[in-house]
Amino acid sequence: MIEAKGLTKVYGEKTAVAGVSFTVQAGRVTGFLGPNGAGKSTTMRMIMGLDAPTSGSVTVNGEPFAQHKAPLREIGALLDAKAVHTSRTAYNHLLAMAATHSIPKSRVREVIEMTGLGDVAKKKVKGFSLGMGQRLGIAAALLGDPQTIILDEPVNGLDPEGVVWVRNLVKYLASEGRTVFLSSHLMSEMALTADHLIVIGRGRIIADAPIAEIITGKGNARTRVRTDQPERLMQLLAGTGVSVEVHERELLEVSGLDPREIARTALDNQVMVYELTPLQASLEEAYMELTKDEVEYHSHITTGASVPAQAGGK
Amino acid sequence: MSTTTLDRKSIRNSVGPGPAFHRVLNSEFIKFRTLMSTLILLASTAVVMVGFAALGAWGTGQFAEQAAQDPQAAAAIAAQGGDLAVTIPTSGIAFAQLILGSLGVLLMSSEFTTGMARSTFAAVPKRMSPFLAKLIVVMVSAFVLTAVSTYIAGLVSLPIVDSYNLKLDLGSSQSVKLLLVNSIYIAAVAAIGMALGTIVRNSAGGIMSLVGIFFVLPIAFQLIPGDFFKEASKYLPGNTINPLTAVEHVPDTLEVWQATLVLGAWVVVPVALAMILLKKRDV
Repeated sequence: MIEAKGLTKVYGEKTAVAGVSFTVQAGRVTGFLGPNGAGKSTTMRMIMGLDAPTSGSVTVNGEPFAQHKAPLREIGALLDAKAVHTSRTAYNHLLAMAATHSIPKSRVREVIEMTGLGDVAKKKVKGFSLGMGQRLGIAAALLGDPQTIILDEPVNGLDPEGVVWVRNLVKYLASEGRTVFLSSHLMSEMALTADHLIVIGRGRIIADAPIAEIITGKGNARTRVRTDQPERLMQLLAGTGVSVEVHERELLEVSGLDPREIARTALDNQVMVYELTPLQASLEEAYMELTKDEVEYHSHITTGASVPAQAGGK
Repeated sequence: MSTTTLDRKSIRNSVGPGPAFHRVLNSEFIKFRTLMSTLILLASTAVVMVGFAALGAWGTGQFAEQAAQDPQAAAAIAAQGGDLAVTIPTSGIAFAQLILGSLGVLLMSSEFTTGMARSTFAAVPKRMSPFLAKLIVVMVSAFVLTAVSTYIAGLVSLPIVDSYNLKLDLGSSQSVKLLLVNSIYIAAVAAIGMALGTIVRNSAGGIMSLVGIFFVLPIAFQLIPGDFFKEASKYLPGNTINPLTAVEHVPDTLEVWQATLVLGAWVVVPVALAMILLKKRDV
């Protein structure tokens, strides 16, 4: 189990992680989803004690990582596929890591076979493809047969077969009762792999819920409404749990109310509505929706005003 | 679902040995010997040491031969106790210090430049342990390599020295002293290199700092006029080796005990700084 409390990391003027609190439970795959630069890797490095939090704390199985008697047997982590001296062979890299905990050579060979590195184990890591590097990182994470496994973007650079392999591996590890925490910026991958999802954007937790809940988009079912009196309709619809966004001058997106309720309100108040379309949120959309305001690097400038009108607004 | 989660939680606790110091030391030794670049640097040091000793033997022989015909030179040799050949095995020490000092830098800086440090310190989060283990590996290997190369260099130069009818006794107390003191000195330089590598976390920067301390500063201090720099020059680590190995005290150098302290400080201060920074900084 991983428990973060008010975890914060500030680099100079930039806040990478802003007071996040979450719990990663054992026995299920917890996905850590967020766009690039959201703070996923920083959070994971803080879990591993590599980066010291500016404030807050994080424990693994009840203790800060550095306090564990046999860290490699407690938590295995793939933080970066390139956390290897590339002039060393894969086998020697694993051997050196294993030596710190007297993990036998047989286990080194075992994880090499498990990760499909058998043919390249005696080759220098320099020549490895990104996918092979990922496999080596996963092998290193599994070395100590740890209770908790942290994988930062494990499917990055893997071929489709490798992606399926990682998916099955983490599910299997979780089914054994282990704590599995893996990050990705791909919602679609998470949908297939994770049981529980923690969504992070710009260093803040945006959602922390079972995957099914996030997929069905609780609070995310939206309705597109076109009306010639958008301001008036916005005021009428305002209420607890309702949010209205203005997309174009006469186009609103309403969430928190179903189309029937919107139509009723409009009718009762004599507001003309000329489009009323329920929007089915795909996973990707749900994710985009969740992180829309939290993405650090926008690929384009959004056109049109996007003014979330929060409940209770007058 | 949440109930099954709870039931499955903590199926077991971690069992088995943790990163005790001897295991970390073993790990650092594996890391040391599985890098081709390390082995190349070690081999080059041995080659340079032996090569320079052979050259030194030849040059000394030539000098002695000329001296035999020149009464003035002969007198100079006699004044030194006739022990011309004793420093021949350590002729290449200046180059050994550069190579093994750089090796010290590289072994630590490469951890950071390659990202290996994340693996190292994730496996052993108490960072002092891998640092000290690496320091031991670096210093011991520098010492052993220098001692062995010096001895082999001596053996290789023996027949050359012999052919010029000079005497070189590898078992003499001065020979043994030169071998040991130079080996300790090189171990100290390697430790300084490793500390610099830890502080700057960058191979080029670390090696340049090392070159700066051992090669640039001594020359710069000589060139700058004034007594201050002349005096300060004695306290540079590279200038401690002369008083440490001299048969008798050489004027304008430190006393042996002073040189020992100065060299010690040159090791302890950067190493302590490196340890503090390693502990405080993010990996």
